[in-house]
Amino acid sequence: MSAPLEEKVEQRTRPTLEELKERKARNRQRVSDNAEVMTISMGPHHPSTHGVFRMDLDLDGEVIVDVRPEVGNLHRGMEKLAESKTYHQIIPLTDRLHYVVSFSQNEGYCEAVEKLMGIEVPERAKYIRSMCHEMCRIANHIIWLGFLVMDLGAITFQQITFREREYIMDLWEMLTGARLTHSFARIGGVAKDIPDGFREKMAAALEVIPKRMAEYDRLIRNNRIFLARGKDVGIFTSEDCAAWRVTGPTLRAAGCPRDLRKDEPFAAYDQLDFNVCVEYEADVIARYVLRMNEIYESIKIIKQCLDEMPDGPVIAEDAFHVIPPKKDVLRSSAAMIQDFVQVFRGPQVPKGEVYKAVETSQGELAFYIVSDGSPKPQRLRITTPCFYHCQAMQPLLQGEMLADIVGIFCGVDVCLGSCDR
Amino acid sequence: MGLIDIIKKATFFEILQGMSVTGKYAASKKFTIEYPKEKSIPYPRFRGSQALLADPVTGELNCDACHLCETICPSQCITIESSETPDGKKSLDEFTIDLSRCVFCGFCEEVCPRAAIVMTANYELASYDKRDFILTKEWLIANAVHAHKELKGR
Repeated sequence: MSAPLEEKVEQRTRPTLEELKERKARNRQRVSDNAEVMTISMGPHHPSTHGVFRMDLDLDGEVIVDVRPEVGNLHRGMEKLAESKTYHQIIPLTDRLHYVVSFSQNEGYCEAVEKLMGIEVPERAKYIRSMCHEMCRIANHIIWLGFLVMDLGAITFQQITFREREYIMDLWEMLTGARLTHSFARIGGVAKDIPDGFREKMAAALEVIPKRMAEYDRLIRNNRIFLARGKDVGIFTSEDCAAWRVTGPTLRAAGCPRDLRKDEPFAAYDQLDFNVCVEYEADVIARYVLRMNEIYESIKIIKQCLDEMPDGPVIAEDAFHVIPPKKDVLRSSAAMIQDFVQVFRGPQVPKGEVYKAVETSQGELAFYIVSDGSPKPQRLRITTPCFYHCQAMQPLLQGEMLADIVGIFCGVDVCLGSCDR
Repeated sequence: MGLIDIIKKATFFEILQGMSVTGKYAASKKFTIEYPKEKSIPYPRFRGSQALLADPVTGELNCDACHLCETICPSQCITIESSETPDGKKSLDEFTIDLSRCVFCGFCEEVCPRAAIVMTANYELASYDKRDFILTKEWLIANAVHAHKELKGR
């Protein structure tokens, strides 16, 4: 497997935090005292806001003086809706936060519920979960790149990246039965084992994707327009990230190796060997390089998962919390009784509160559940990374040029479905 | 800046480099399929519209009207009306699925204790008329022709 980006990273010098701050101050424009500030509204139907997001921009000429982001145009009341559903029924709801990384959200929710109920997940299910997380990451990073370059002016590039994402989409369809809204994780494991022929298809996809990524590199890496619009644009240091709770690739591109897969391992990540990618430039180009390196790392993890996956069941044998596998329901009466009890009465849940965060491809996604002992959660709070990314628009954009808004906005990876819930 | 860099900048080297990738694909085979003419074949786990399966020998429906699918459905799109026959069995009178509410999660298939309701490979569900989205019992029985070949456990 070729890794052209990793070699280039080694040769670059690492700027310190002070240097980054100075570079940020130099690149952001100062507003003169007698500036005539004009307020315009961007969105909610602007094509580059990736959903329905509105910003009030205060402009002095082409320089942004202030930004007031307005979220909530896509609010669907998911948290309230979850209060009227049993723990099993909430899984399809979590698909619809961010439609590219559906599985990561299913899994994050199930991790939280399993922590609340104290369920031990079988080893094989853990490996399948890790593999699916990385499939989400590859698909998300690839189309993120497509949208970024499209926002910077190269429309065809987005369609090229959708071609590679199609390999992952086919694998999703083969594994879960749906292309976008998988509903694949279950409380206590995953819904199905990997099907026949999946390994071969996955190996073929993992063969193609690095080759195509080398092509992306040739297309845009040295392109002067891409560099001019990305280099030193939207610098956001690790201090800023900590102040505004920006996580994920944006934080790692600022030199902070924070990754929940390493720091608080979930699924099978504690048994897998992988590196946390870090970049130090903290601009749009650094975020691009970081995400491409993460795809190479994800490919490594998927290969490991498939090689080291142990045999065994994919869902826990737990009569009080788990809907049994269908093949058991058709054969044994005990499983059928368990099936009826789980559907009509719901899982038996202890009272308590639980918080669990997982690392999705955008950042830290957390679920906070308050249980009153009934089969429906009393309160389900979803903390999505995109909400905090939208909140950070003001410090990200102040002093930047009007034309750089779309690049910076896409650079931090915002999905409004996930933000507004 | 070295001489090579100046030459590269003057000749738009990186644009040519990118265009070489573009040019390579201009002549290659196309990746897409032209949908109405050629159709994509879903994988065996694909979750399309539902179908009610019948016993191949007797022709009786597998469904016992146990209401499990109606209860688990997260979007509450399934409506079942059942009655009791004189010999004490439950019979299925109405089975309606509101397709405009269905989220295709496949839970109905998963919890069914008799393999009566299954998700099929039928994905061509678009319609000009909203009334077409109310799937009746008869529609669901007829839709069984689209069911996946082997009924796989999960």
